[in-house]
Order: sequence, then structure tokens, then C-alpha cells
Amino acid sequence: MNHRQRDHVVGYLFVLPFLISLGTFFLYAAVRTVLFSFTDYNLFNTPAFVGLGNYVAMLRDSMFTLALSNTLAFSLIVTVAQTIGALLLAVQVNGVIQARGFWRTVFYLPSIMSSAAMTLIFLWLFQRQGLMTELVQFVVNSRWYIAAFIGIAVAIQLALVVNARRTYDGVSFADPVFATIGVAVAAVAVYALRLGAVLPIYNEEFLISWLNTQARILFLPQTLWSVALMNVFTTVPTLMLLFLAGLQSIPIALYEAAELDGAGKFRQLLYVTIPSLAPVTFAVVTLGIIGTLQMFDQVAILGDAAPLQSRITLAFYIYANAFPEGAASRIGMSSAAAILLGVLTLIIVYLQRALGISDKVDR
Amino acid sequence: MHTTKILLAGLSLLALTTAASAADVRISGWGGAEVALVNGLITDVLADELKAADITVKYEPVDGDFSQFITNALSAGTAPDLFYTDIFWSRAAFGTGKVEATTNDTSPFAPNLIAAFTYDGKVMALPKDFNTLALQYNKDIFDDAGVAYPTDDETWATLQDKLIAIHAKLPDVNGLCVVPDYARFAAFALGSGWEPFNADGKTVLDDNFKRAFAWYTGLVKAGAAVAAADVGEGWTGGCFSKELTAVAIEGAWIIGAIRDGAPNLNWGTARIPKDPTSGQAGNLIFTVGWTVNADSKVKDAAQKVAELLTSEKAQQWVLEQGLALPSRSALVDNAWLKGDTPEQTVNRVVFAGLQDGNVEPFFFGDLGGAWMEPINTALNSVLTGEADVDTALAAAQAKYDGMAPQKK
Repeated sequence: MNHRQRDHVVGYLFVLPFLISLGTFFLYAAVRTVLFSFTDYNLFNTPAFVGLGNYVAMLRDSMFTLALSNTLAFSLIVTVAQTIGALLLAVQVNGVIQARGFWRTVFYLPSIMSSAAMTLIFLWLFQRQGLMTELVQFVVNSRWYIAAFIGIAVAIQLALVVNARRTYDGVSFADPVFATIGVAVAAVAVYALRLGAVLPIYNEEFLISWLNTQARILFLPQTLWSVALMNVFTTVPTLMLLFLAGLQSIPIALYEAAELDGAGKFRQLLYVTIPSLAPVTFAVVTLGIIGTLQMFDQVAILGDAAPLQSRITLAFYIYANAFPEGAASRIGMSSAAAILLGVLTLIIVYLQRALGISDKVDR
Repeated sequence: MHTTKILLAGLSLLALTTAASAADVRISGWGGAEVALVNGLITDVLADELKAADITVKYEPVDGDFSQFITNALSAGTAPDLFYTDIFWSRAAFGTGKVEATTNDTSPFAPNLIAAFTYDGKVMALPKDFNTLALQYNKDIFDDAGVAYPTDDETWATLQDKLIAIHAKLPDVNGLCVVPDYARFAAFALGSGWEPFNADGKTVLDDNFKRAFAWYTGLVKAGAAVAAADVGEGWTGGCFSKELTAVAIEGAWIIGAIRDGAPNLNWGTARIPKDPTSGQAGNLIFTVGWTVNADSKVKDAAQKVAELLTSEKAQQWVLEQGLALPSRSALVDNAWLKGDTPEQTVNRVVFAGLQDGNVEPFFFGDLGGAWMEPINTALNSVLTGEADVDTALAAAQAKYDGMAPQKK
């Protein structure tokens, strides 16, 4: 064997372990799943060919259409929310001068916990008379005071900034020193208002069913909105790290050029940062789509805490057919649903790449 | 010739020794508290009998979803020789064709339990214990409110009055935690005279069912109960052991929860209250049996182990631990059951529950747990105030109309 052939062989040897596991756990499993989706296999009988019977039955099953619509809506909302959230958070953390490591760690904490543990905690927080309801109750009941606080703080901030701009250049509207003054004065003012009982404060009691409800908001069940909130909270930090890494590779020269051209912080974000981050955004969106389309663990852990039609997703539909409670497994249906989910994911990712965010930087 | 004789002698000696070696039987059931129970039986109570039969038994507990484990294991061929079968998913297990009918004598066992485990005319599992529902009550709360204890002749109306009186007198305490679960609601649904499957194998939610449904969901508005989820609990026993409610509707399994969570609780047990209209009470039978794996290499030994584990000696021991009720009819009049401690009382009442007017085993043919879903959703939507009784029942009936008929 000459030198080049030996290199090839060595190369293949290096990849061999991965190829073996890929072959067994992915290729073999995928081919078997496709084959099972055309049979009536229930783990114990000899599979008999039923053609497209499983696919037809699945499309006629109202639970399947519900799971499909829930999954698509959930994926859209969570992907958009977590991408924007992660980007903004990364830009904020990147702009901090002191103790950047500390802020990065603090913002990353929600991602560290296991999703099962987070779901259990949220189950408790999302009770009808739980902490989240108390929060909403507090905000609604003291809305006059909260409005007053925001109003006074913003007014003082605006006044101070406008005043400073008469003398100095480049004073940002979000100047932190003025903001601190504004917030402090607003706090004192609101406290005084409360002492004098000037504004009305209400005493309404709320009972919000965050999870245990069949209500729908727009095109997603209320339960899944709550799950989406929790999901965004736990995945934004991980994606923030990806964006932070991407931000380090943007040349400072671009920002300096923009500043020279008179662009403020917001325009810089829009016309320098975001286009330069296109490859990272593509990765974040693709990972987000794949992850949210396959969302299963929160649904499974919620269990009886929410009605089935309010929490079912495609991945859970696959599981519920593979292991129905107390009935024989419907592996044929389960495999058909799994194939469909895989194909759907491929299509959506391809569409996103073709029509949405590209993976090439657009300068 | 000489060599052949020696060879033959050697071979026959070998055959003798292999015939004389012990059989190793692998058995499996749930984990948690069961581990101590089963190991106690194997190493302590039945040690002599097992030694005489020359069988070694190893218990392999499974934490988590047992029915999933056993389905996978039977399909893969790695299932234990003898394993638990819960009546709830028994049809799925028996339908696999990988379980063997019992060869033991089934006459000493309670007929309802044997009938529950009969599939295709054959008894596929030997029932080891059972449970039914009963009404547990907190004696101290009743005393504080000045209300008489529930008796074995309570009706729905008299119980509701007692619970309203308690809540009126002690506003921090509720009568009962209601759960949107057929596994508890059935005690009332069945008592009304309704049957889960009619002659055609379909489920019809008739007027009897509606009466029970309206009463059960109306308890909260009447001030007699609170929805369990609203106090952060998942089952009636949880509320009861935290003294949030005066009564609970559970089986003898509540003993474990009370021992752990409220060991000083002063409690008693009464029969499930009767429907004033039909004059009967309903109940569910929860039971678990030992099933032999048809692919086992030690089938005879496994059958013998099943017989020993359900023998009178074993069941008497388990009964006296207060851990489960025996499946043998002969133990109905057992002296232990006549005692007065809370554990003995609840076990006695639960045992008597087998004779309630309308008792059904807790399983639903080939549909399994999916059958309960429309009723549970209906209960939930009325309890959360999202629908009224008629709308909820109409939605549930529509789902039942779409289900395949079940063979009885």
C-alpha cells in the first residue's frame, strides 16, 4: 500500500466507530421504521403488510391533526421568541464592560437545570392560585401605581437627556446615569402617592388556569402557551452563548465606520450586527426548529395536569401510539407518525434555508 | 466395550446430577415498598418450602412504568419467568401470546378475581391481592365540628350534608378533595346503576350516569369539597394525610401514605356511600396477579413459585403487615381483620367492598386507559368551570360513539 492509500485507510478507521453507531442506531432503525409503518406490527405478531393503511388512519385521526397543528404553532412561536430573545440578551451581555463573566453566568443559569426538574417547578408555579397568578393579580390590581412609576421614570429620563443634548453630543436616550436618577425619583414619588392613597388600588382575586384548561389563544392551546413561556426561558441562555461567540467575530472597524456615518446604537444593531450574525442566526433558527418540532418531555411530565388535547404534540402522539396505556402497542401507526415528523422537519428546515435566513453573511 | 461402559456410566451420572440441581426462577414486580415485601416472603416466610422444592428465587424490581418494561421484555425475549400483571393492562399482556395459563388450582381464590384474570376461557394469572375503594375519615376533624362519623349506611345526600356542616364550622377544612379521575368517580358512577359497556359493547352515558356526574361535580359548589388541584394535591389521600380534608376515597394503599406523612392521624374507614335513588354503592376492583412467561425455561418451577407466593401462609403474613388484602376466600373471616386499629378497619372495609352492589374490575378491554379519557376530560372541564354538565357529557358521549365496541 502506498502512502496515499494508507492515509485513506487510516481515515476510514478513524471514522469507523461513528459509522458503526450511525449505521446501527440511525440507518438500520430508520429503515425498520419505514418498513413497520407499512405493517400492522404490535411487537408480538408477525407484521402483515397493510400498505398505506396506517398513513390514511393517521390523517383521519383527529388527535393527529390536533397534534400537528399544536406542534407547528408551538415551533413557530418558540423559535421566533427564543431567537430574538437570545440575540438581544447576547448584545446586552456583550456591551457590558465590567463583570461580563458574572452576567454571562447569571443569564446562563436557567439552561443548566434539567428540563424535567424545570417542568415540575413550573407545574407548581403555574397552579390556579399559584405564584404566577399572584404576580398577574398584583400587576392588575396595582396598575395605576405601576403606570405612574413608569410614566414618572420615563418623563424624568427624557427631560434629563434632552437637557444634556443641548450642551453635549452623543447622549444616548438609554443613558444609565440618568436612568438611575429617573428610577430613584419615580420610586420615591410612587411611595409618596401610596402613602397619601392618591391613586386607586384594587382587590380583585384571580383564578387563572395556566395549564389545566381546554381554552385556546389564537392557534395554540393555553397550556402550550405556558409551556412555550417555560421553554423560551430555559433555551434562550444556551442560544445566547452561540450569539455571543458570533458577536466576537464582527470586526470593530464596521462599528466605527457606522458611527462615523452617524448611526446610533439601534441602527448599528440593525445594519451591522444582525447581517454579520447571519450564519449564527441560521444555526440558532435551525436548531430551534428541530428542537421545538420534537418537543416531548414537557408534555410527558405534565401528564394529568392538563387535558390531552391541550398538550399533545407530534412526538407525544408517536409515544402514545407506541405505548398506549393498558392496550396493545400500535407500532405501525407510531412508525408512520415518526416518518411524517422526520419528513416534515426536513421540509421546514429546507424551506427556512431557501426563503428565510441564509447561512451566508450578507455584507 | 469397556470404554463404552465407562462412558455410559459417566453420562448417566452427569444426567443425574443435572436433574438434581436447583431451578433458578427470576421474578419481577414493582420497586419501592414492594421490594421489602417480596424479599421478606422469599427469604423468610417461604424459605423452607422453596428449599424443599429446590428452587432459588430472585426478585428483580422495576421502578417506573412496569407495563412498558414488560411489553418490551416480552417482545425482546428477556422477560422474567414470573411477573406481576396489573388488571389495568392485563389484556395487553395476555393478548401478546407470550404468557402461559396457570396450572394451579384456582378454586380457593375469590371468584371475582379469577374472573377478572380470565382471558379466552383460561385463567392467565394467579391473583395475589386486591384492593377496592372505601371512605376514610378524620375522627378529630369530625369531633371538632361536632358532626357524627360516617357510617356504613351513608348515602350521597347524608354524606354531602355532613361535609357541608364540617366546612361551615371549620372554614379551613374542606369535606373532600375531588379528582377528575374515573378511578375514584367510578364508586359513584357504578353505584347509580350505570354499566360501563352495554349489551352491544358500547358506552352510553345514561341518566343514571348523569345523576352521579352532577352530584360529584356539584360537591364543590355546594361547599362540601374542593378540587384537589386547587390545593396543590394530586389525589384525595394527599389532602387527607395533610388534614386539608375530612374524608378521602382511597383503598388500603392509603396506609402507606398515612404511615409516612401523618403517623399520628386519628382515622377510621366506612363503606362507600350508597346512591339514594338506586340504594346501591359502586366499587372498583384493583388487583395484581402473578403471570408465567410462556417462553420461560423453568415454567414448572415458576408455576410452583406462583403457588407458594399466593399460599395461605404467604397471604396471612402479608395481611398482618397491613400491606395488602388476600385473594383467597378462606381468609375473609380472618381474625386479624376483626381488629380495631385503623389499618385493620380499612382492610376489613375494603374487603367488604367486594360485596358492594355494583362492582367492576378496573380494566377496559382492548382500549385500556384511553377509555377513561372522555370521562376524565368531562369531569375536569366541569370542575374547572369551563363547561356545564350537559355540554361536557355531550362531548364525552360523542367520543364514546366513535370508539370501537368492546367484547364483554
